Amino acid sequence: MESQLLNWMIFTPAIGAGLCLLPGISKQAARKIALVASLITFGLSAQIATAYYAAGLDGVQFETSIEWIAAINAYYRVGVDGLSLPLVLLTTSLSILIVLASWKIEKATNAFMALYLFLFTGMMGVFLSLDMFLFYVFFEISLLPMYFLIGVWGGPRKEYAAIKFFLYTLAGSICLLVVMLGLYFLTPAATGAGNTWVMVSSDPGVVTLQSEAVRGLFAQTGEYWLFARWAFWLTFIAFAIKLPLAPLHTWLPDAHVEAPTPISMILAGVLLKMGGYALMRITYPFFPDAARYFWVAVAIIAVFGILYGALCAMAQTDWKKLVAYSSVSHMGYVALGIAMMTRTAFDGAYYQMIGHGISSALMFFLVGVVYERAHHRDLERFGGLWLKWPGYGGWSMVGFFAGMGLPGLCGFIGEIMVLLGTFEAAGNPGFDPATVYTLGILAAAAVVLTAGYILWMFQRVYMGPEKPDYKEYASVTGREYVIMATLGIAAVVFGIVPVLVFNLTDPTFTSIMKILGVSG
Amino acid sequence: MTPTQQLIRDLFVTATLLPLASSLIVLFIGKRVMGKGAAWFATAAMGCGFACSVYGLRLWLEHAPGTILWNVPWIPLPAFGGGWLYLGAMIDGLTVAMMVMVTGVATLVHLYSIGYMKGDARFERFFAYLSLFTFSMLGIVISNSIMQLFVFWELVGLTSYLLIGFWFEKRAPQLACKKAFVMNRVGDMGFLIGFGILFYKLGGRLLLPAAAGAVDAEGHAVVTMFDAIRSVIEADGYSITNPPMWLTAAGIGLFFGAIGKSAQFPLHTWLPDAMEGPTPVSSIVHSATMVAAGVYLTGRLYPILTPGAHLFIATIGLVTLVMAACMALVMTDIKRVLAYSTISQLGYMILGLGTGAYAYALFHLITHAFFKCCLFQCSGSVINAAHHQQDMRYYGGLGKKLPVTALCYFVCTLAIAGASIPYSNLGISGFYSKDGIIAGTINYGHAMAAFGPYAKLFYWGPLAVAYLTVFYMARSFALTFLGKPRDQHLHDHAREAPWTMVLPQVCLAAMAILSAPFIMPFWLDLIVGSEPAAAAGWLQRATDLAHGPAMHDTHAGLLQGVGWIIALVAGVAIYQPGMAISSKVAAVPGIKQLYTWAYNKFYFDALYDVFTVSLVKTVSRIVGTIDKYIVDGMVNLAGWTGRFGAFLTGVFDSQVVDGAVNGAANVAASGGQLLRGTQMGRVRAYVLFLFVSATVVTLMVITVTLAAR
Repeated sequence: MESQLLNWMIFTPAIGAGLCLLPGISKQAARKIALVASLITFGLSAQIATAYYAAGLDGVQFETSIEWIAAINAYYRVGVDGLSLPLVLLTTSLSILIVLASWKIEKATNAFMALYLFLFTGMMGVFLSLDMFLFYVFFEISLLPMYFLIGVWGGPRKEYAAIKFFLYTLAGSICLLVVMLGLYFLTPAATGAGNTWVMVSSDPGVVTLQSEAVRGLFAQTGEYWLFARWAFWLTFIAFAIKLPLAPLHTWLPDAHVEAPTPISMILAGVLLKMGGYALMRITYPFFPDAARYFWVAVAIIAVFGILYGALCAMAQTDWKKLVAYSSVSHMGYVALGIAMMTRTAFDGAYYQMIGHGISSALMFFLVGVVYERAHHRDLERFGGLWLKWPGYGGWSMVGFFAGMGLPGLCGFIGEIMVLLGTFEAAGNPGFDPATVYTLGILAAAAVVLTAGYILWMFQRVYMGPEKPDYKEYASVTGREYVIMATLGIAAVVFGIVPVLVFNLTDPTFTSIMKILGVSG
Repeated sequence: MTPTQQLIRDLFVTATLLPLASSLIVLFIGKRVMGKGAAWFATAAMGCGFACSVYGLRLWLEHAPGTILWNVPWIPLPAFGGGWLYLGAMIDGLTVAMMVMVTGVATLVHLYSIGYMKGDARFERFFAYLSLFTFSMLGIVISNSIMQLFVFWELVGLTSYLLIGFWFEKRAPQLACKKAFVMNRVGDMGFLIGFGILFYKLGGRLLLPAAAGAVDAEGHAVVTMFDAIRSVIEADGYSITNPPMWLTAAGIGLFFGAIGKSAQFPLHTWLPDAMEGPTPVSSIVHSATMVAAGVYLTGRLYPILTPGAHLFIATIGLVTLVMAACMALVMTDIKRVLAYSTISQLGYMILGLGTGAYAYALFHLITHAFFKCCLFQCSGSVINAAHHQQDMRYYGGLGKKLPVTALCYFVCTLAIAGASIPYSNLGISGFYSKDGIIAGTINYGHAMAAFGPYAKLFYWGPLAVAYLTVFYMARSFALTFLGKPRDQHLHDHAREAPWTMVLPQVCLAAMAILSAPFIMPFWLDLIVGSEPAAAAGWLQRATDLAHGPAMHDTHAGLLQGVGWIIALVAGVAIYQPGMAISSKVAAVPGIKQLYTWAYNKFYFDALYDVFTVSLVKTVSRIVGTIDKYIVDGMVNLAGWTGRFGAFLTGVFDSQVVDGAVNGAANVAASGGQLLRGTQMGRVRAYVLFLFVSATVVTLMVITVTLAAR
């Protein structure tokens, strides 16, 4: 039974999607189907988490493998480990809130819910795939529903944003595909084990792409060192686009600004994390030597991304765009944490993803609540919202201050660990301490900019006297408060109890760090 | 851990958590369930916290239980062999003294606020914030590690933001709270750098140095920052007098946090603006809590600071105390005089810590908390009585109308002046603490004499400013309470504040007298006892601690004379008739320029506005524009190129292949129709196209790779 859990987790949303599209299903029924499907998936993920915990948290668990396309040796191979489990839990729990946040969508509700559930399946598939081909398929599958969700239910420039999102990320996928094909053709000759797509496996008999033999090919002393360097950058670009890391980020603000609120929430909350997840799952463990070789370049891009995103956020007059650029800045921390290749920074980067999943979803929802009533997002035209809705103002404070990385809230732990881990990298073999310190100092400088743009926004939107046009705004509903409070409380809980995540990730990360071979 | 230690720990932890609990209760259900009673509830909770602290103090004095350490694992550090970043509690003499002082002052401020905030639209919420703020400060005081200190450090930043910006409808508080937070973050940036360096060098062992030699709750010996630094630098052949660069850098980096929080030069400009908050906020922020945090941090770091870091800290303190005193001399807003006087007094403490007067600097923190809190509360009562007029030029003769407030203000003026009975060892609390600091600076100045005549500034500066302090405080007292009323209407309506406001003033004024060592010896004793013995043995300092014989020399020579009386009388005499005399003096060429400079706060605000705020905003606008037109422009260009290519392909397609999709269809404008089959077909065509091109690229890469082998 337990081996089937993962399959159910992946396909329950897809079944729900099918049900939504059946003729005769009313809008309300479609909403309920989506909610039930999300709840079931969440329940299953909770069960998986418990079982994974009980099984000692070690390595890949619940692995299922079915031959899929024999001609190219592709398997349907799924499983869960410490790297994927927290993100899976984030996705399933966020999903319930997303459905609740979509409750009032009246335009083609059934199609919306069906597409969202397809997207859900795609996300689960990405995190649970152990086979690279399958991963790629799910990675692509998640693009299409997103394309329609933005393109049909979006704002005034939805077509432009949707196509940009689709093509930009697809361009990234192509980079990934190139590497995949290379790996496929280059590995068997050396290993003698035939072609393989397996990224990681609990079965010691399976040759994985991060096994020592395969890694040896792509090591600095290996046969395909040139390919490894290309492959490192191509996969890095593929996932940096998804993350997104400046300067490959420009699809994101447009997508966010045009996307409807719940879709912005899932986009920032989960889809961006696929980039960071894949960097940790593929780019770094597959090509650790290349990663060490290029660490300075990656770290510089990451720090640049942090500062660049923060400066761009400061320049925005569109509220949602500001939040979108803050995501760019925050994802820079993820990239920096990964680039520094120390355990603390790696842990921090991962926590930053979880924390940002909560805080960004909350921030986009907060913006959405107002946009629904004001029908504009011009920062200069707001002010005094705190007076209008004190409760809403309170949760806003939680959301935006979590984004700012205030201690006691979820954004802090990732940020501080990335910073500390960055300094720790001065001890990595081959890492020049002066460069490491410089990068650390620049990253620390970003905390000032972050405070600057968040507080400036807060002042313009929430402080000051109420505006006369607020009189027409409907009051914040109970459903909206439930979503805000759930995310707000989660932000507090994950700011106070970091072991909630670190307990799950610890053994897996230990083995990844061993592969990276930089520090314990 | 003995039962007594456990009890003491529990008492102080309870005292820390009580305000958090009451804050949350007031915030979520206070208004609905308790109404205005929420304020009394928060005050009572704070009072309970104070009672816990006092009981803890009693037990501590009775049993002398030694440093109590309680570590709660928080963030795992697998990189360092199963280490952790800890939260928890570390209780030594300094912690005890600070806990009692902070809870005591906070209780009085809560009580005062009941009177002051009466009738405010967000009355209950004010108390929730105030309690949360106190909780944050107590969290700093009870910290066992740099990590916990930083967590609560930031929470103090947040809660001060809420309090300073409490009247956020108005423009000035909005700007003030934002400024306070951002300037603190500038300091935090330095803190983070120092934190990062220590984290790396010490392998995550970040328990505060004061815990050296203590055992944790299970009785295991712990490795503190102090032990770790010692072993790390000694392994490299260094010592504290011949320290490695990084240790000095880390010390200065962490101290930057204190520069921000304690409003030292050059990050001092947020503090006067923070006067935009309600006056009870000023009274707590500028005495017992926020600004005290920076000094407290420096005190906690004291054993690991290198001589280089000490020199840096002393210099910052010296510059601050002189500069701020000059500004306090010319301000006409009563709260601003007090604000600059706070900065100046903080400069004394920082200078004291820099020069090695550890105990007296921290003792000054305690005494200053009492009298400065009282001064602010008195100013609040005056402002309340004067219909929110804060300009002293409109006051005068208020002493008759507010006799208790005037008396309290006068007592605290004496305290800040360091008044004593001439030719005796008896004085008010501020006398002992400030005198100890000056003694330390004299020692330091002598020790640094090898570095030239500038070393003398380290003691002539604080000494001169000591008299300047008396003078500007006498000025504010005279302008407010003495002389003839300068605004008759204001004077006619002035009335003494309600008892909730007067009582705290009286208590604090009493404490300003009573905390002198010959009445309440425990304050100073607790602090003296808190300097880690292990550290004292190891550190061969350039200076001795500023107690011992040196102090009595300064008693005889400096403040114990009649100097303070001369300055006081001069201040009262000049300003008792108002600004008439001083405005003539200020018109004298030479003095006029100085006056203008000081009155404009040495143009720091203007400087920062141009060189930081505007600069960052301009850069952000430029970056935003680049992002929009160049970075995104390139993406769009690629898109248009692709689309043009697709158009050409489409034309070719429709010419050659019958029934192919219309390539000229505007893809980007067809969102509503995307679900239609032809459009699905288009996306599929893209995917196919990309797959094909990917295969081509792959083959190229592989060919290149193989060819290069």
